[in-house]
Amino acid sequence: MRFLTRCLIFLWVPLAAFAQSAALIKLPNFDGLADHASESINITLDEPLLRMATRFLSSEDADSVEAKKVLDGLRGIYVRSYTFDKTYEYPRASIEAIRKQLAPPQWNPLMEVKSSKEQANVGIYISLDTAGKANGLVILSTEPHEFTVVNIVGAIDLDKLKNIEGKLGIPELDIDDKKKPERPKK
Amino acid sequence: MNSNFEQRLKAALRPVDPGDDFTVSVMNAVKREQLGSQSTAPSSRRFTQWASAALAACLVAAITVTVQVHKAREREAGLRAREQVLEALQVTSEKLNLAYRVVHPQTDTSDERKLRQRRPNDRGGA
Repeated sequence: MRFLTRCLIFLWVPLAAFAQSAALIKLPNFDGLADHASESINITLDEPLLRMATRFLSSEDADSVEAKKVLDGLRGIYVRSYTFDKTYEYPRASIEAIRKQLAPPQWNPLMEVKSSKEQANVGIYISLDTAGKANGLVILSTEPHEFTVVNIVGAIDLDKLKNIEGKLGIPELDIDDKKKPERPKK
Repeated sequence: MNSNFEQRLKAALRPVDPGDDFTVSVMNAVKREQLGSQSTAPSSRRFTQWASAALAACLVAAITVTVQVHKAREREAGLRAREQVLEALQVTSEKLNLAYRVVHPQTDTSDERKLRQRRPNDRGGA
C-alpha cells in the first residue's frame, strides 16, 4: 500500500506539471515585428518572477492585497502586444497558429466576440483540468493594426478575479454563474 | 737575517693588555646586539597580527558588500517584475474591457467614464 501510494505521488507530480504546461501555449517568435511596431509589449513572467513580484506588492493597500490573491496560484503570465501604424499589415498566419492551439478538449471558448464597429475580434479561452478547475486562460484580441495575446497559466479563480473588479484597472466582468465551471455536487 | 725577522715578528705578535676600556666597549657592543635582536622579534609578531586583522576585515567587508549588492539587484529585479505584473494586468483588463464593449455596445459614456476612473494608470489611446 505504501509502495502504491508512493508510486501515485511520483506520478502525480509530473502529471500535474504536464497539466500546467498544457495550459501554456506556444507563442510564435514576434521579434521581427517589434521593429515595425509603434508600440510593443513583451512580458514573460514565470513562476519564480511572479513570486518575486508578489513580495513587492504592498500588504497595506487593499487593492494590492486583492491582486496578491489573484496572483496566488498562478504559474505564469505571458503577454505579447503589438500596435502598428496604419500602413503596416501584420502577418495573420501567426495569429491563426495561436488560434489553432485553442481547440477542445484542452481549451474551451469562454467568449468569442466580433465587432464590426470596433473592427475587433476578441476570444477568451479557458483551460480546465480533470477536476473542472481552471488552470489556464488565453485572451486573443485582434484589431486591424494591433493584436494582443495574453496567456495566464495556473489556478485561475474566477471568484477572486471578480473581487479585483474595478481595482488596478480591471473592469467589472459580467461573468454569471452559468459560465463558471461546474463544481461536483457533494 | 732570519733571527732578525723572527725577533720583529715576535715583537709584533707579543700580547698587549688592551686595558679596561676595551673590555667595557666589547661588553657594551654585546649588550647593544642583544637589545637589537629583542626589539625585532616583537615587531614581526605585531606585523603578523595586524596583517591577519586587516585580511579578516577585508574579507568581512567583501562579504558584506557582496550581500548588499545581491540584495539591491534582487530588489531591482523584484520591482521590475512587479511593474511587469501590473502592466500585464493592465493589458488584460484593456482587452477584457474591449470584449465587454463588444458585448455591451449600448454601454453609455458615463459607464465608460466610470471604468476609466477606476484605472490607476490609464494609457490614453491604447
